[in-house]
Amino acid sequence: MNIIEKILFNHSIEPLTTVSPGDIVTVNVDRAIMVDMAALHPEFVDNPPVKPFDPEKISLVFDHYVPSPNIEIANRVNRLRKLVSRWGIKDFYDAGRGGISHVIGGELGWFKPGSLIANTDSHTVATGAFNTLGRGLGTPELINIIATGKTWFIVGETLKVNLNNRIKKGSSAKDIFFYIASLTGDIPGKNVEFAGSGIQTLSMDDRSSISTMCAELSTEFAVFPVDNVLREYMNSAGINDYSAVEPDQNTEYADEINIDMNSVEPMVAMPDRIINSIKPVSDLGTVDIDVAVVGSCANGRLSDIRDVAEVLHGKKINRNVRLTVTPASRKIYMEASRLGYIETITEANGLVTNPTCGACLGGHMGVVGDGDTVISSTTRNFKGRMGSSSARIYLGSARTVAISALRGYIKGDMN
Amino acid sequence: MWVFGDDVNTDLMYPQICYTLPEREKPIHAMEANRPGWASMVRVGDIMIGGRNFGTGSSRPAADNLKNLGISCIIAESVNGLFLRNAVNCGILALEASGIHDAVVEGDIITVDFQNSMITDMVSKRSVTFRKLPSFLMEIIENGGIINVLRAKGLLGDPL
Ligand code: SF4
Repeated sequence: MNIIEKILFNHSIEPLTTVSPGDIVTVNVDRAIMVDMAALHPEFVDNPPVKPFDPEKISLVFDHYVPSPNIEIANRVNRLRKLVSRWGIKDFYDAGRGGISHVIGGELGWFKPGSLIANTDSHTVATGAFNTLGRGLGTPELINIIATGKTWFIVGETLKVNLNNRIKKGSSAKDIFFYIASLTGDIPGKNVEFAGSGIQTLSMDDRSSISTMCAELSTEFAVFPVDNVLREYMNSAGINDYSAVEPDQNTEYADEINIDMNSVEPMVAMPDRIINSIKPVSDLGTVDIDVAVVGSCANGRLSDIRDVAEVLHGKKINRNVRLTVTPASRKIYMEASRLGYIETITEANGLVTNPTCGACLGGHMGVVGDGDTVISSTTRNFKGRMGSSSARIYLGSARTVAISALRGYIKGDMN
Repeated sequence: MWVFGDDVNTDLMYPQICYTLPEREKPIHAMEANRPGWASMVRVGDIMIGGRNFGTGSSRPAADNLKNLGISCIIAESVNGLFLRNAVNCGILALEASGIHDAVVEGDIITVDFQNSMITDMVSKRSVTFRKLPSFLMEIIENGGIINVLRAKGLLGDPL
């Protein structure tokens, strides 16, 4: 079995001899995460479970709309807050306390190697960086999981992606993902398992950026192996009670691709989609921009904000550009502040917001207008995703966004 | 019975505008971006045929919208994993049947024979077999969705 099959095997409620593609496995879930968006689903606020299967294994995280952008949302999340005392939830992260669920889950040690996480949000696959299975699920399914602690998965075929060498100077983990996406296209129902000697050169931020973005390939799961980088991370978070999972020797994969990370240039996703829409920045010509955004569960991490601060240090962004930088968590915000990144970005005329999803989902904190051209380090660029449906959204790494903000346009030569 | 192509996505079934509409006004917007007027022609019990990766996209309640429109069953070459879960959980049957897309003609009456896992176009008399859903999922569908199942077990509490 590969890593994914093994984790499902380990969580099966019935004793199995093996797990292979096509099987349906009913599993115990280690943790269920609810985000503030649940408040927008009547089926949740009208039919909450009487009590959760285990209040210690439930997290409630306010992240998409923090702070509340309007009365409607303020009232709805107030209803969700009632769950905290009704169920006795300890892991509640209200506005100002936490950050984006996919990011604080890693910081707080919720994503234990070898474990299985449920969350309604579609970027739950982010947990894969931690050798943890996670998949975005519908709200009724989450209600079921909270009530029973169980769910089921159909086992998909697994694509092995070998990451070799190290990321080239000037490129980022986001560019590695874009390159992978340009090779695979979308792979609904399938899994991705990462391997290769280059993984040890990738930080937890790099891995998280890649696993999070795999949501855009429509994968079931995307997971990294365990190594010293992950072990040391868990150690420094004070988490030692986990059993990481490695693939069996001689595991066969449905397919395998090799990536020489050192040959991957900065890339962008052209407006409206990622699939079949990736180009090296050097092939783009010159694209004038109005808005630049750095943030999201994929790329609002400390290393992304560092990249922005390094690019902008001592300079001012182009006078025609509005730059918004949204740290993904309170912890990242505080580190960025301590390291002087927030000051650097503010001096460069960039706007640093509180931690939230913000502009990524076009709900608040930088909604874009008609005809705006945007370069963003966020996760998705479906038409209308960040506001007006006539805005053109290019996706790139935080570094690409920062350089473009400085120049006022996206263009080849990124040094 | 209605025939659609490959990669029919959740945003077509449940466009953004539906989020803020009252429940009963949502279904009429299904598929309006690629087949305007279609939703008003659907009659209760109609079947929808799709191609590959039916229901790709987000976790939004897209299957619910088709069910509320009156669609009784979805049959596609392949069904997106998340969509299948959402379909089962809201109590609508979504079946995978290889070759279905070319075996049927829009407007024909088709029968779904559960005994033999067989779908037959009653006009052309062509048949294809479908992949059976496991019995625990069929049970959820027969109960009208997961919320009903949980409620019957007394697992759901008062509104917040
Ligand atoms: S940052 Fe964007 S992609 Fe990530 S959870 Fe928030 S809205 Fe979703």
